[in-house]
Amino acid sequence: MGTMEQLTLQLRETAREILESKKAAAVIGWEMGTFWYSTAPAILTRPEETERLVWNEYCLNNLAKYLLDFQNTDEKVAIFARGCDYRGINRLIQDKQIDRDKVLIIGLSCPGMKDDKKARELGQNADIPLAKKCEECTYPDALAYDLWVGEPKEAAKPAKAEAKVFPEVESLEQMTADDKYENFAANYEKCLRCYACRNVCPACSCRECIFGNSSKEWSAKANNLSENMFFALTRALHVAGRCIQCGECERICPVNIPIMLLNKKIIQDIDHLFGPYDAGLDPEDKMPLGSFEFTDPEEFM
Amino acid sequence: MSVNEALDQKTPTENLENWQPKILVFACNWCTYAGADLTGLSRLQYPATVRILRVPCSGRVNPQFVIKAFQKGVDAVLVCGCHPGDCHYTTGNYFTRRRFLLMRRLMEYIGMEPERLQASWVSAAEAQKFQQLITEVTEQIRALGPNRKLRDVQWEQWNN
Repeated sequence: MGTMEQLTLQLRETAREILESKKAAAVIGWEMGTFWYSTAPAILTRPEETERLVWNEYCLNNLAKYLLDFQNTDEKVAIFARGCDYRGINRLIQDKQIDRDKVLIIGLSCPGMKDDKKARELGQNADIPLAKKCEECTYPDALAYDLWVGEPKEAAKPAKAEAKVFPEVESLEQMTADDKYENFAANYEKCLRCYACRNVCPACSCRECIFGNSSKEWSAKANNLSENMFFALTRALHVAGRCIQCGECERICPVNIPIMLLNKKIIQDIDHLFGPYDAGLDPEDKMPLGSFEFTDPEEFM
Repeated sequence: MSVNEALDQKTPTENLENWQPKILVFACNWCTYAGADLTGLSRLQYPATVRILRVPCSGRVNPQFVIKAFQKGVDAVLVCGCHPGDCHYTTGNYFTRRRFLLMRRLMEYIGMEPERLQASWVSAAEAQKFQQLITEVTEQIRALGPNRKLRDVQWEQWNN
């Protein structure tokens, strides 16, 4: 823990310097939450507030989405970014939600965060496992940054991605059609349609969401399986090719729906059909569903 | 015609013997719609199981239209447009191709039978292809029976 505490001090120092020198109007980081196993995103605007910043094993929130709060201002914003935050920031830049010039990225190397739900169950002295999304993480460090906090690291350009295969997706694919449907229905029977997954998602940045307005008649207010499925499938296809695999949707879900099962299926298919692609690594990349090749497969015709 | 209107001709409470599939065809204005028109002009017979919904381009078909159609009680959805290279808007159908390749796999993944979501290229001259396509799809769906997956509440009673 020693190093993370030291890093917390460095984080605060960096944030204070940025705010004092007015390099940015705000700094986005994490502060302590209500419990020892919780943190909350913090948006700081005054140098003296930077004492609130923390960097510990429960900094689970992806901060990128909070950049949208500054979408309509001219001010520059500083943001702490690990691999997942970095990919989220790129997501927003690529989707033209925010200018790269308006963001000051402070890179961090992430050791992997711990599962806060397990922590609540097991108590402070137990050995808490890594959060699921961190276990599966492939890019723990920010790949490009303006400032760096912690041990200096060489900005390692990722090797060309390989076509991903997810065992949980593959095992689902083996089932019969009716079993698949039953399984899918059982997951989404629970959905409350609280839209927390949408709100936390860096790829969900439409100004007007079809699920935000029932007068458009796309989705009814009624909470039933069919509507829940409509929401799940529509959202999965809306973020297809743009999902950065941060796993925030699944982490935030109050009824523990394995939302990433849908996203992973799409990611896996994109990799195998159109070539390996990791979203959010480079804002200049062509997006799989925003581009095409003349040689694309035509297996369904 | 909106999706809702196109589907408003509800199937009467089912009597499976007389059951006919209900197939929604998204037809691109420039190729398939004209192709379907030619099918009629040429007096080529095809099953009256299809509801044709004209769209400016197959690229206009948003996946949510398809899911909505299944919710509203359609048994199969067919997305049709110009052949690659012939799109009126130059590249619209290339995007369709990628999108529906993914969507079809996703629908299969959640347990829909793959026959229920199909895509095909039909040009304005391919009246016969249109006739064959509709006949084939209708046969496939007849064999599968009515779709009960993804349907919304108004069908619940009918499901039991």
